[in-house]
Amino acid sequence: MIYIFVCYGFLLSAMMGLIASWVDRKLTARIQYRVGPPFFQPWFDLIKLSGKELLIPTTALRQVFLTAPVFGLASVILASTILWLNDLHASQSFVGDLIVVVYLLMIPSICIMIGGFASGNPLAGLGSSREMKLILSYELPFILAVLVPVIKSGYSLRLNDILAFQMQHGVMITSLSGFLAFLVCVLCIQAKLGLVPFDMPEAETEIVGGPLIEYSGICLAIFKLMKYMLLFVLPFFVIILFWGGWRLTGVHLWLGLLKYIIFILLVVVIRNTNPRVRVDQAMRFFWGTLTGLSSIAVLLAWIGK
Amino acid sequence: MSVLGSMFKLTTFSFFVGVFIIFFTLVVLLYSLGSMRGQKNLPQYYFYIILTMLSALGVVLANDLLILLVFWGFLGVLLYLLISFGQKERTSQTAKKALMIVAGTDLLMILGIGLVWRLVGTLEMDKVHILLTSPTALVAYLCFVMAAFAKAGAMPFHTWIPDTAVDAPVSVAAFLPASLDKLLGIYFLARVTLDIFHMNHFTNTFLMAMGSLTIIFAVMMALVQHDLKKLLGYHAVSQVGYMVLGLGTGNPVGIAGGLFHMLNHAIYKSCLFLSAGVVEKKAGTTDLDKLGGLAQTMPVIFISFLIASLAISGVPPLNGFASKWMIYSGIIQTAKGSGHLWILWLMSAMFGSALTLASFMKLVHAVFLGQPFKEIPRTQTPVSMWFPVLLLASLCVVYGVFSKLPLKVFILPSLGQHVVFGGVWNSYAAFLLLLSGLFIGLVIFLLGKKNSKRLTAPFVGGEDLSQYPEMRISGTQFYRTIEDMVFLKKVYALAEQKVFDIYDVIKRIAHQSFKVLSRLHNGILPTYMAWCLLGMIVLFYVLIK
Repeated sequence: MIYIFVCYGFLLSAMMGLIASWVDRKLTARIQYRVGPPFFQPWFDLIKLSGKELLIPTTALRQVFLTAPVFGLASVILASTILWLNDLHASQSFVGDLIVVVYLLMIPSICIMIGGFASGNPLAGLGSSREMKLILSYELPFILAVLVPVIKSGYSLRLNDILAFQMQHGVMITSLSGFLAFLVCVLCIQAKLGLVPFDMPEAETEIVGGPLIEYSGICLAIFKLMKYMLLFVLPFFVIILFWGGWRLTGVHLWLGLLKYIIFILLVVVIRNTNPRVRVDQAMRFFWGTLTGLSSIAVLLAWIGK
Repeated sequence: MSVLGSMFKLTTFSFFVGVFIIFFTLVVLLYSLGSMRGQKNLPQYYFYIILTMLSALGVVLANDLLILLVFWGFLGVLLYLLISFGQKERTSQTAKKALMIVAGTDLLMILGIGLVWRLVGTLEMDKVHILLTSPTALVAYLCFVMAAFAKAGAMPFHTWIPDTAVDAPVSVAAFLPASLDKLLGIYFLARVTLDIFHMNHFTNTFLMAMGSLTIIFAVMMALVQHDLKKLLGYHAVSQVGYMVLGLGTGNPVGIAGGLFHMLNHAIYKSCLFLSAGVVEKKAGTTDLDKLGGLAQTMPVIFISFLIASLAISGVPPLNGFASKWMIYSGIIQTAKGSGHLWILWLMSAMFGSALTLASFMKLVHAVFLGQPFKEIPRTQTPVSMWFPVLLLASLCVVYGVFSKLPLKVFILPSLGQHVVFGGVWNSYAAFLLLLSGLFIGLVIFLLGKKNSKRLTAPFVGGEDLSQYPEMRISGTQFYRTIEDMVFLKKVYALAEQKVFDIYDVIKRIAHQSFKVLSRLHNGILPTYMAWCLLGMIVLFYVLIK
């Protein structure tokens, strides 16, 4: 368990996330007719940040301000470990099920919010409140969408059951309901990652990074690392639910990598072809269109499509 | 002895509830030593608290429905007396309202007892088993459920709780609506649902629907409150929804989850109320617009409040998550049977949890973090006030991480059924992994910590914050976007007019009908004489016929 925790849960996920963020940045740059960063740029960023001076605002509640990133990172590592454990040993189930992962993946956002609140900066407070409203928005369609695999696999909340079901009956995404729910999930992941068009909590151009405005040095580095890891863990979760997971043997290794790359490409394309929306627009979009879509997916799953 | 034996009975369930009744009484007594200092009529206050504990114990030990009713009635009166210790403007109205709602539903309970007597001819709870086949049985069951709902504060009898939270002394709010009344209300609901009546599909669905409604409605109300204690009061309502929902699932894991949630709720909600009391004492107000930045002056209270708010929002690995997770599994299990509506219940439970998180993020910001409203002098909080808060907060962590412990000692024995967990949640392993994750984070943090640290002014684009008081974000306006949504706006407007307040609705209807009757009192003697004569004629006719 400790082996999987360190090697897969932390190191592999972090590495994949860093590579994915490079892909994201490079592609974005190419779309904007720029050259883009070299392959190791995310690594350099982290190393550079960890060598920088740590600035603490006078208004901040220091202990909370400094520890919030650490808690966020720990929760992502825990979620990623649970996913890997279930993915690698599909015959057994470990530590937590689908609901646990859904809730664990909410903690990073909570940590960002609390960190922002603790900085005592009004812009951070504003950004954090937007983050909370964004959570409220996407949570409704997201929960509905992740219930589709639950219904299809015979009402099991265990991730390994869902994986085993897909091994026997084909992946969820090939069915109509699975496909719809997958689409909803992709958009919710976009919001969970805080990427354009749902980046209003950070909105560099108006509230200067929102909750992250006061962060610098090693704390910012940890938050960045957490976000990079989320860039892997969230798609990985969706791939486990809808796309048969990622087995690390033979041809499945490359297939799994392909699935992940397709997912990241989707995210990058959405990110680069949309403007930032306001939080009330996002709310209407998630509570209206997407909730409707995922309700249809649930109904379809229920009648077995 | 045999008479006493048929009146009282110690079951594992009543033992479990009894232990926690005593525990919460001790916590509140300890807290009151600090919070009630210098108030009037203190001997009476402590006397009432002890008496409440004894009556509550009487309720859980009673085996005869009449005995239970008597103690239940005592509790209503004691609630009234205890609320009256508050020193707010509206305290007396609130006390009256609470008494009316609780005592009014006692009436329903008497009716239910009468019906049970008629159905089976005995009132001993361990001997009564009624199938819900006849309408009479159903009416009796619903009467009992209403009484339990009023006590626990589920909809539609919830309205006394937010008012009590504001107007009663905070120790009373933490003692009765937050912990003891929940324990008793849900205890009675569980006894009625599990022992006395045999549930069927209809009643299960009814309970789950009421639970879901309570969760969503109360949490939406909580979201827009501007007062710390009122907000907590609405959460005390919304959390009942989870317990009712859990009991309504009708399968062991859901029921165990509901009972576990009852315990967890009592722990974190009293912790939240007690910390609100410390805040009130220090800052002199619970208006969220006039608080802020208190974490600097009361770090212990802040950490406890944070833990309890994360627990109530269902963040793993705290205790709120453990019980909510069991309730979710219970709901999913109903899907395997014949429950087609499970997805509605699950959605309202899970989404309600996110809304809970939202309103507590608002509180954490508005009360403890964010920018201070005014300077609050650093004074020592008495040990008797911060220690109970810290104790309850640490219990939130312990019961979350070692959730098997309370389950094994208290809840599963009182249920007496084999519980099959649908999913996996190994809280202990998760906690260890989380600790290791924290270790990794800490190592990275320490790697960078060798660099220098510097204090700077917060960056707000070069503005001087002290010149712009409107730049202070108090947090009360966080969810304006939601309030302003077309449909919700109307609902909130209706709630503002107290359309959903059953007490207010009945009051209005009563006032209208009294108006008609008051016309008869026109002060003219001959009219009164005529009425008397008319009445006598009717009376004689009825008697002689």
